[in-house]
Amino acid sequence: MSSAVSLRAAIVFAALLALPAAPFMSKFYLLLAFDCLLFGAVAMSLDLLMGYTGLVSFGHAAFFGLGAYATAVLLERGVLSLWLCLGLAIVLVGIYALVVSYFSTARRGIYFALLTLVFAEVVYTFFRYTQTFGGSDGIQGVPALEVLPGVAIDSPMRNYYLVVVYLALAYTACRVLVASHFGRVLVAIRENEDRARFLGYNVQRYKMAACMISALLTGVAGALYPGRSGFATPDLLLWTVSGEFLIMVMIGGLGTLAGPVIGGAFFILLQEKVSSYVDWYFIVVGLVLVVIVLFMPKGLLGLRWRATTSS
Amino acid sequence: MARDDVVLEARGVSKSFGALAALADVSVAVRQGEVFSVIGPNGAGKSTLFNVIAGLYAPTAGEVLLRGASITGLAPEAINRRGLAKTFQITNVFPGISVFENVRVAAQGRTAVSGRLSSLWRLPDVEARVMDLLQAFGLDERRDELARNLSHGEQRYLEICLALATEPALLLLDEPTAGMTPGETRSATALIREIARARGLTLLLIEHDMSVVMEISDRIAVLHFGEKIAEGEPETIRSDPKVIEAYLGGVEA
Repeated sequence: MSSAVSLRAAIVFAALLALPAAPFMSKFYLLLAFDCLLFGAVAMSLDLLMGYTGLVSFGHAAFFGLGAYATAVLLERGVLSLWLCLGLAIVLVGIYALVVSYFSTARRGIYFALLTLVFAEVVYTFFRYTQTFGGSDGIQGVPALEVLPGVAIDSPMRNYYLVVVYLALAYTACRVLVASHFGRVLVAIRENEDRARFLGYNVQRYKMAACMISALLTGVAGALYPGRSGFATPDLLLWTVSGEFLIMVMIGGLGTLAGPVIGGAFFILLQEKVSSYVDWYFIVVGLVLVVIVLFMPKGLLGLRWRATTSS
Repeated sequence: MARDDVVLEARGVSKSFGALAALADVSVAVRQGEVFSVIGPNGAGKSTLFNVIAGLYAPTAGEVLLRGASITGLAPEAINRRGLAKTFQITNVFPGISVFENVRVAAQGRTAVSGRLSSLWRLPDVEARVMDLLQAFGLDERRDELARNLSHGEQRYLEICLALATEPALLLLDEPTAGMTPGETRSATALIREIARARGLTLLLIEHDMSVVMEISDRIAVLHFGEKIAEGEPETIRSDPKVIEAYLGGVEA
């Protein structure tokens, strides 16, 4: 079973590596593919919390945005190293996530969701009104990241490969995690957290660890974003972005890891396609999502499962 | 009171909820290897006593000692790690995962990996222990079934498997046969007794069914309106006038 999953994953990643060779892959489509995979990776990180631990976070945009600002601030000041940018993002997101998860996991259910939202709004407001970081304009026009001095990730192709590598690493990490001792405890917490306590598990500590891991994966994804877009703006931290992350997980399929990656990619493609025809694309996107949630409660991945089991 | 072979001791435990005194100055001492039952009419404070011992509530007054060390006011997870496990009156399992995974998550908490950084990527092998437990309760055929699909009686057994998988020295059973038919109750009682003996377990039991209590218990404490009114061997309890009065509803004010 698990080797079948990893074989399938290996085929998918091989296809992703070969994708730029396809004849229709323009620079535009490469950047679109970058967004699909990056936000797919974010949705997958959120799935660790939502699908496995049973915690709904309304504040993941803050982890993503904080990672993006970490990179943008360094790039703006001429620090181009990918590794330094990732390092700063990990430190900043880590400290912030420690505070958020400590307070949020002290409460359950809707209170957890509300606390993550409130903390994220504080971060949004901070960047929105702090002129050092560009206020509402954010940080614009930053240069490309460098893997090594002089080796810049300055083309859509290189950015695309960067995100494929990140997704492969993050996916492997998540797969190992959910199959581990730790992952089994998270599922037990989702199923019945009171009983997990009476089996000797410090539930809050496990929830905090799950939040931290999910936040760090999201923050690293955020740190890769300015290298592709050239900017970090407060809009990345807005609560509606957190909402979009939740939608990506829901449409992909909770608790499946691969599902939310598909959900993230689907959401980005849908948004891109519809918005190129009409201005009121949110209405169309919204309707499609309602249909998916109503008729495919297990998400897009669940649809495929049903197809294979019925045949 | 203080004897070497005392596993659990409650000393003068009181618990009030607002103006309601659910427990008043209750003391019990449970000895190594015995089956100790707590009985009493509805609302007598039996479950409250269990919840204080297992750490769900901190007592308003008094002290709880497990193997001589105070566990008063500790969290349930800390108390469990010190060797006390509890089952619940209302079935309390992990409904959406398999029977095997239910017991696995309970059993893996007692492995060396648990609580270490390596638990993020390693999965300890507890299959043998899990299957032993499932076999003892006749659940091995159902290992891949979701817990929510088990019959009521099977869920009661799974409940006990979860507690036993944490390798306790003392097991608190809160009405383990609740909702079972008389036939099931009889076989469940025999099974519990047998497993406790084989594992050298000490049992503290709440039970409504008097025939079960009299058959299985070494000693019995009787609670009434939050106070302990009697303690002793089944024969003594059966003929204690205060106990009879409490159960038959005497005209006590």
